[in-house]
Amino acid sequence: MIWKVFLFAWIAAGMLAGFLWAPVVPVLGATTRVFYFHFPAALVTTLAFGWSMVHSALYLARRDLTHDDHAAGAADLGLLFCVVATISGSMWARAMWGAYWNWDPRETSVFFLLLIYAAYLALRAAIDGETRRARLAAIYSCVAFVTVPFLIFVVPRIYFSLHPDPLFGRRGKPDIDPRIMLVAAWMFAGFTALFFWLLSLRVRLGRVERCALKGMA
Amino acid sequence: MPATRSSSAGAVWAILRKECRSEWRTRYGLNSALLFAVTTLTSISFVVGKIADRTDILAALLWIVLVFAALASLAHTFVREVEGHTMTMLRLVASPTAIALGKLGFNLLFLGVLEAVTVPLFLVLVGGPPLHWDRFLAVLGLGSVALAAAATLVGAVIAQTRGRGALFAAVSLPILLPVLAGAVSGTRGQWNGAPIGAELRLLGAYAAALLGASLILYDHLWEE
Amino acid sequence: MSALPAREAVSAVATLSARELTHRYSPRRGLDPVSFDLAGPGVTAVTGPNGSGKSTLLRIVAGLLRPSGGSCVLACEGRELPARARRPAIGLAAPDLSFYEEFTVGENLSFAAAARGLDEPRGRVRESLARVGLLARAAARADALSSGMRQRLRLAFALLHQPPVLLLDEPGSHLDDDGRVMVARLVGEHAERGLVLIATNEEREKTLAGHAIQLRGRGVGDPA
Repeated sequence: MIWKVFLFAWIAAGMLAGFLWAPVVPVLGATTRVFYFHFPAALVTTLAFGWSMVHSALYLARRDLTHDDHAAGAADLGLLFCVVATISGSMWARAMWGAYWNWDPRETSVFFLLLIYAAYLALRAAIDGETRRARLAAIYSCVAFVTVPFLIFVVPRIYFSLHPDPLFGRRGKPDIDPRIMLVAAWMFAGFTALFFWLLSLRVRLGRVERCALKGMA
Repeated sequence: MPATRSSSAGAVWAILRKECRSEWRTRYGLNSALLFAVTTLTSISFVVGKIADRTDILAALLWIVLVFAALASLAHTFVREVEGHTMTMLRLVASPTAIALGKLGFNLLFLGVLEAVTVPLFLVLVGGPPLHWDRFLAVLGLGSVALAAAATLVGAVIAQTRGRGALFAAVSLPILLPVLAGAVSGTRGQWNGAPIGAELRLLGAYAAALLGASLILYDHLWEE
Repeated sequence: MSALPAREAVSAVATLSARELTHRYSPRRGLDPVSFDLAGPGVTAVTGPNGSGKSTLLRIVAGLLRPSGGSCVLACEGRELPARARRPAIGLAAPDLSFYEEFTVGENLSFAAAARGLDEPRGRVRESLARVGLLARAAARADALSSGMRQRLRLAFALLHQPPVLLLDEPGSHLDDDGRVMVARLVGEHAERGLVLIATNEEREKTLAGHAIQLRGRGVGDPA
């Protein structure tokens, strides 16, 4: 119980610091603030994706349904964070460049991730039978794992040559104020903890459901 | 146990022959795929007219028609087995990998026939500058291998679910995006005279990665 | 009744054992834990009320279904066969076994023989059909068969490769008296050299067996 409160306080403190304490990056102006939840959300969604895939592979190797709970739970939560990242990124793009969507490399990568999450969850919804669902979803997840590196490296190569992005190098800026980095790291830690906490709830719920079904038998 | 000639290679070949014979007897899949491609092409041609100079749009249109015609038809090899309840028989005579490879071979042949009809028809109806055949065929070939590999694996998964047509397309498209990107860019490049080495490497690498992953994953497809 | 050439004699030593083997499709449907040890040539009946899991047990032994709990070990000539490798050693004839409707009886069995990599496929197909009395129907399409003939085809399919282990799920269903006599003869012939499991509730089929595995099930009418 105390940890939930602590987590809430941590994230709230991070948001406050982001709006009130950390300075703005001159080029970005007030829109810097979105950095504190857009960037952590994007990182967490990538982490969630990796987590889901690793557990899919583990399920195929070991056939322990707990791995499937992890894979499905991480996908659900990853989708949530992905939507947050996409929408916050889109709002930022509107403020910076005047258009909600530009197909810039990073936007595109996040969007593809969204498509894969959605396809994975749609597939799960269409399968009856716990073990069949776990197995087929895990197979799809492993195929997606092959696709993702190509999507992340294909996109810049093919589309960057057509739509050069003037701010593409912005992450490479060496002189970002350390206060900004601190708040960003703080928020990343908070989001990650939030993800793992929600995931643990989901996994426990899955285990309880299975025990309840067995108990009824 | 009676003496047997080896191997999986024999089983793959037997399954490939069976698929071809089955398709020839029923002609169910090929007819609908060709009809789909022809209908789509004539509709586009009617609506768009000749756009011989817009090579970027032409490349995209060609590959969209090919991919969607493939998505409309490549899953049916598995769906037919599930609906005809012949999976039990198949699983008793061949390993999952042999089954999937046999069907992959068939899907490649099928795609080849589809392209042999669709590409010339496209050039006649919609237009386009003359092809640099060697480069175009390289893009077409590698793209088709990747397309068939993805569609075979995803098709095998989808055939065991409740949703079929729309779900197959929705679930396959993210996997097919690298193919579309590389193939469209490569097709446009061979028309514009641009170098397409990068696109060919992408398509080749992706096809190899998909095939490699498939060979590991095929075993798990029908384990229950 | 033809005597098989010596070189094709089915290997004698097949053993099958299960420990707490169980499978659950849903909380109330499935196979309750069962344990047994079977060895050598002979016939065993698998009996039990409807829904007790007879067909499920045969599918697990055949390697088609991964059980949710317990273990099932099949060994031939002392070598243990994991589920994935049981295909050459198992012949299964079950009610859900269907064949390709667009192929003839002979073509279906030829395909099975080719996929299994059998020597002299044509001879084997003819012999198998002769043993079940379907030789006259070899050129008939599978969708033109009556239910009795379909059942004979299933038996021919199971016997095609002379497996050491024969799994028969209600082999007498749809068969007339001649057919049941044929089944009894086939079981007798096979039991001289291999293991036969018959899942049945028919008294006449139960008497073919030397011993029985009783599955306690909930049955259809039991409360949850």
